This record gives sequence, C-alpha cells and structure tokens, in this order.
Amino acid sequence: MTLIPTYRSRPSALHAARAGVGAAFCCAFALAGALYRHPLILAGALGGIVVAGAAAGVGREVARSLKLALPFALLVAMVNALVYQGGETLLIRGGEFLGRRWDVTLEAAAEGMFMGLRIVVLITALGGLMSAAVDPDQLLKALRRVSYRSALTATLATRLVPVLARDAGRMGDARRCRPEPPGRLAVVRAALAGSLDRAVDVAAALEVRGYALAGRPGRGRRPWSRHDLRIAAAALAVTAVGIAGAAAGAGRVEAYPTLDLALGPAEIAIAAAFVALGAAPFAGRAARLGVQRG
Amino acid sequence: MAEPVVRAERFAYSYPDGGGRSLHDLSLEIEPGTFTVLAGLSGSGKSTLLRALCGLVPHFHGGEASGELVVGGLDVREHGPGELAAICGTVFQEPETQVVMGGVRAELELPLEHRGEPPAALARAVEETALALGVGHLLERRTDTLSGGELQRVALAAAMVHGPELLLLDEPTSQLDPVAGDELVWLLRRLNEDWGTAVVVAEHRLERCLQAADRVIALVEGRVACDAPPGDYLAWASESMPALATPASRLFSLAGLPGRPASVKEARAGLREAGVALPERPAEPSPEAASRAWWRRDRRPPPALALRGVWLEIEDGPTVLRGLDLELRSGERVALMGRNGAGKSTLLRLAKGLDEPTRGRIERAGEVALLLHTPGDYLIHEHAVDDAGAAGVAAAGLAGREGANPRDLSGGERQRLALEVVLAAGPCAAVLLDEPTRGMDRAHKDGLAERIRDLAAGGAAVVVATHDTEFAASFADRVVLLGQGVVIGDGPPAEVLGGGRHFSTEVARVTGGAALLPEEAAQMLLAPEVLR
Repeated sequence: MTLIPTYRSRPSALHAARAGVGAAFCCAFALAGALYRHPLILAGALGGIVVAGAAAGVGREVARSLKLALPFALLVAMVNALVYQGGETLLIRGGEFLGRRWDVTLEAAAEGMFMGLRIVVLITALGGLMSAAVDPDQLLKALRRVSYRSALTATLATRLVPVLARDAGRMGDARRCRPEPPGRLAVVRAALAGSLDRAVDVAAALEVRGYALAGRPGRGRRPWSRHDLRIAAAALAVTAVGIAGAAAGAGRVEAYPTLDLALGPAEIAIAAAFVALGAAPFAGRAARLGVQRG
Repeated sequence: MAEPVVRAERFAYSYPDGGGRSLHDLSLEIEPGTFTVLAGLSGSGKSTLLRALCGLVPHFHGGEASGELVVGGLDVREHGPGELAAICGTVFQEPETQVVMGGVRAELELPLEHRGEPPAALARAVEETALALGVGHLLERRTDTLSGGELQRVALAAAMVHGPELLLLDEPTSQLDPVAGDELVWLLRRLNEDWGTAVVVAEHRLERCLQAADRVIALVEGRVACDAPPGDYLAWASESMPALATPASRLFSLAGLPGRPASVKEARAGLREAGVALPERPAEPSPEAASRAWWRRDRRPPPALALRGVWLEIEDGPTVLRGLDLELRSGERVALMGRNGAGKSTLLRLAKGLDEPTRGRIERAGEVALLLHTPGDYLIHEHAVDDAGAAGVAAAGLAGREGANPRDLSGGERQRLALEVVLAAGPCAAVLLDEPTRGMDRAHKDGLAERIRDLAAGGAAVVVATHDTEFAASFADRVVLLGQGVVIGDGPPAEVLGGGRHFSTEVARVTGGAALLPEEAAQMLLAPEVLR
C-alpha cells in the first residue's frame, strides 16, 4: 500500500468523465483551498472532497491522503504558533532561547491551523481525489497536445517513480538478507546509482517506441457524455462560488492583533455549497453508469 | 527476390567504455517474413546486435560503428531509433522497464501517437493488435497490476501496434514460466506467419524456439560463427560448441544417432526411425511403497527448514499461500517450481523472515541465507572486496579482481559474488536462491549447479526457485511444484519432471519421461536391449 493513491478504473461518474474534466473538478476544490483561509469554508471544501471521494468509490484513498496531509498541517500550525509572536491572547508563556522569547498566542496558533487546513484541502483535492479518480495517462495525453515533450517527460517521470520505489524496496530486502547489513547511506547511494540505470532503460524503451519523432497527437472528436457535462458543471459551479465569494469579501479572517472571523450567512452558504457541489455529480438517476441488463 | 529487411556488410561496433569490439565484421542478410533465432553464450554480442538493428547502437549508447548496417532501407549510422521505430518493433528482456505508461490502452496508443496517427486509425490499430495478441481483456487494466507474462505480451503488442516489418526480441522468455514462455513463442510464430513480420529473437533456451525458427545465427565473440537452418545449426553446435546445442540434439549426438532434431516431434520421429524402443516410464509407487517411504522420511533427522500450515493473504490482493506444509532436510537440493505467481518467491521470503505469514509457523534449524533474483541489489560498494571480503571474492572465482567495480562484472560473476555475500556468515541451515539462472548461458548454469552441490554437501538444505526445467533436472534431488498456493507435486525429479507436460525437460518429452537429461537418456539408448 502506498501513501499516494494510484489510479484504478472504477464504476463512478468521476472515473467515467474525461480526464480534463475530472481534473478540473478536483482543481476547483484546490482553488477554494488557495482562495480562502476561513476554517468553515475550508471545512466545506474538505467536506465536498470527502463526499465526492466516497461517492466515486475512492473514500479510502482520500482518507489516506488526509493522513498524509495531517502531519504537514500540524507542522505548519506548530511552526507558525512558535515563530510568529503577534496576537494579544497569550496561551503559553515560553522562556528565552536563542536571544528571543518563545510565547504562543491564540491568534498565531489559530492562524497556523488555518494555514494547515489549507494544506489539507490542497493535498486531499490533488493528491487524494485527483490521483485516485483521474486517469493520469488520459490527462497527460491531453497535456501532450499543449506541450508534447514536457508531458512525455512527465510521463517518464511518473513511470519511474513506482519503478524506483520497487527498486528501493528490493535493495532494502537485499540489505536485510546480508549477514551484516550495511548502513542505510550506502544502500541509498547504491539505489541512486541504480536509478540512473533504470532511467536509461526506460529512456531506451521510449526511444524504440519512436519518442524522437515526437509527433503531436491528433485531436479526437469524443462526444461529451452526461458524466462529462455533470462533472464539468459542478467544477464550474465550485469555481464560480469560490471566486464570487472571495470577490464579495466573504470568508474574511483577521488573525491579528485579535482573532476576528466573519461568520455570517455568506460563509455558511459557501461551505454548504461546496459540500453540495461535491455530491451533486453523483446524485440522481443520471449519475448511474448504465442500465441493468434484462 | 524481395529486398532484405536487414543487410549488414562488415559491420563492427565498440561500446564507448573502451572494452574492445562487441561486434566484428558482421555480414548477413535477413529476408522479410523469416523467423531468425540469435544464439550465443553470454557476452557474445546478441543484445548488441539487436540494439544496433533498432538504432540504439550507436545513437543511444554512443561508441564507434564501422561498416554498413541497413534496416528497412535505412542505414543505422545515419538514422536513429526514432526513424527505425517505424520499421522495427523492439521488446527487451525486462518487462517492467519497457512499459512506459500507466494503463495498457495508453501503452499501445503511445507509439502511434508519436507518429501522429489520427485518432480513428489509432483506435482501430489498438483494438486489432490487442485482439491479435490476446491482450484485449487487459486493455483497461493498469500496467502495475499485470503479471510478468501479461506485461511481456503488452510490451509485444506495443512493439507491434504500428505494424513493423521487423520484430526484435532480446530474451523475451527469460522471466516467464514454461507455460507463458511457450505461449509467447507460438504467438511470435503466428505473427510471423499471419502478418509476415520478420522476427529476430535472441534466446539462451533454444529448445523453446528452434521449432519455430527458419534460421539460426550463432554469434561467438561478436562474429557470426554459424548461419544456417535449425538442423544444420544443431549439427554445427554438436560438433563445435556443445554448450549451444539443445538437449534433444545433445541426446542424439551422445547416443550416436543420425540427424539433429530441432523439436520434440522430430526427435521422437528420429528415435522411431532408428528403431529405438524406450523403456516405459517407471510406474507410480504403490500405496504401500509410498507409505514405507513416508515412514522412512519420518525417521530422518529434524528438518533444516519447515513451513507448517503457512498462509499468506494480501490485503486487497490474492491469497498467495494456502496452508502450505513443507519440510526441507539438511543436504537436500530442492527445485521449487510453478507458474509465475504460484507463490515461489513468497515462500522463500517467508522462509528467510523478510515477510511474516498471515497464519502458520516457520521453523528454522539455524541461519537461512536468501539470494533474491536481482544479484546487483546485494552489491552496493564500489569494489567487490568491500561487498564480499577477500575470501568471498576468491570463493566466487574472482581472485585478483578484488578492486573491480561490481557493475563492471558480467551477470554470472555478479551472481556468484552476491551468493558469497549472503553466505558470508558461515554455514547455514538453508540456502535459498530465487530465479538465479535468468539470462544465464549453459556454461554458467553448470557452474552454479556445481556450487549448489557443494553447499548441499556442506550440510545446507538448498532450495532454488526456478522456471528452468533443464537446470532443475541437473542439480536437484527433489522437485516441489507449487500451484494455487499449495504443493501440487513433491518428489524426485524423475517423478515430477518426467510426468509433466509443461514442467518437464525436453528430453523427458522426447523419451516419454524415461529420462530427464541427455546424458542419462543417451546411456539408456546405448543399452543393447533398447535398440531393436
């Protein structure tokens, strides 16, 4: 089991939608994480991601990415609380160390948590939902029409990651098989040297598949399915709600000198909209993937 | 007469490391629609020639090329692998690193995208190729969920999807079990016959593919030593280079029979023509005899290694072992066989303690040494002596090369050195080797078999997971066959390998299981009562 989820084809509206649309849906939630610091709105965006993940059958993968994100979020929260000395509400009086005071204020701690929550939203949207529910091959194929070689290089890099991970795992096993296991540094150095060989092998495979010709892939006329339309509509709606709310000044957060959070109907509505829009493409008869036989 | 698809005129090549010429004055022609096998010992230049044919040599690897090598009308010194990719499809030995994309359909689409094929033509080519190569059911699968055999077929489909005139394969069956290996060879023959594709395949285990071949080119130290149809090639090999002969032809040679059969069918016909009446395969032991054998087995000393009721269930995956029971005694030489995914490697990992069983018990009478299937993973230092010590380097037959970088050693030398690394702790209760003969020629296999006999004579139980039935017959005194996570065959090699269809040696198939190896069968044939 890897921490970063890998894509598997599943019977869901999100998996059935074209990769570009699926990616736009996930990125729309990530955009909400980038636009807002307000905890309720961020919680709404996270709720939308979790609901969409569960409905798409990748709830476990999203939960796994949440586990990956939480330590980062906590680290950011702690660092902000320790390093930033602004705020009037003292929570912990620290001593003097390295020529400065190390007090922790409620405002700095809260601000750190808001930043951490943003990281959680970004990681679960992109590293969780998108990794598990959007076909990377299709996505890179779409990107190849824009920048062929860059996208192919990205393909090569993404292909190398699991290959190198397996190599590292094998070398770790070989280390355990030695009567006197060598230091980890020696193994890491050997794994790095081996990764060059691997990269050469994969590059050779690309060469003999005609990589050097680098023709631009033809644009296929694939009709838009109802899943494409519904996911695209949800992505647009999440983006529109996020941008419109931010432009209207909703989700205002003032951390310093005292904590001041706007908590009115606008914030509640935006948070509720994110959750609802996360569920919307999967609701109703139209979200079913097909008809039952006989 | 059609233009040859490959024409070489005094072609020579040296890698940039300055290690001397890998190919010397190569002159040959390959006609369209022929099936050619490249034979040769390790380091004879087979892979280099294939890499030259697809343009990786010299464009990708560098080095110096001279003479002329023309593939599909393009001189490889002027045209790189990208241009040659339109003419030839290439499949390498390692399935894992030649699959580039995450999904099978995307993998098949990639070569056509490189060529800028329109989407409709691309979709049709993918569907047709997938159906022809029997990977239609895999199209929506992720490549990291495929078995080795499936991955190799996908790589073959990706190499064939644009309809090349020439297909190049470098030991494509070396990582496959006998079933998957045979399937792949027959698939190649069908592509060759139905599509008219010229096939050039480098292979150590010639008995697998000679029956499909029109012609064999043997390379010795980078030069063409023989270029002939399979029968004539085998006659040459029997005379000049027995290490490159197939088991059946060695049997005919040793028994002094005329002709050199390229297939089991030809060998049987040859025996009939020579008036040979082989003895029946020994009958299965009676229940009473089997019971006496088990009684004797129970009175033997305690096992060096025992697995009792061992289960291994993978979360979100298959159940690999299902209550497996196996006892291994000191001094036993055991070949562990079974299809890819039967649980051989898993069993060895559990025996060593790298993984824990879901249920069951593993008893070890002492240290267990395990050599996994990639020996390079054990060689992590810059100098051989730092990995194995001076004594280990000497035991690996590399005395005087203590300062050599393990990366510069040949595959067989790395294998021997890695074995000494895991044996460095002193005598072991059990020594476990996982697929040690991949890509090894016969001379190296004979050396490994000798080392295995030494280890067993020293008191270790030696277990070798292998797909190579000939190798198993050469070293083992017991063969354990795994299937569906349980032991489905366990007994002396003559019993397990003599009665199988896929898991049997070529000589066993020729002799109806009466003998496994050419030497043994030849002795039998030379007995006066056998010749009518």
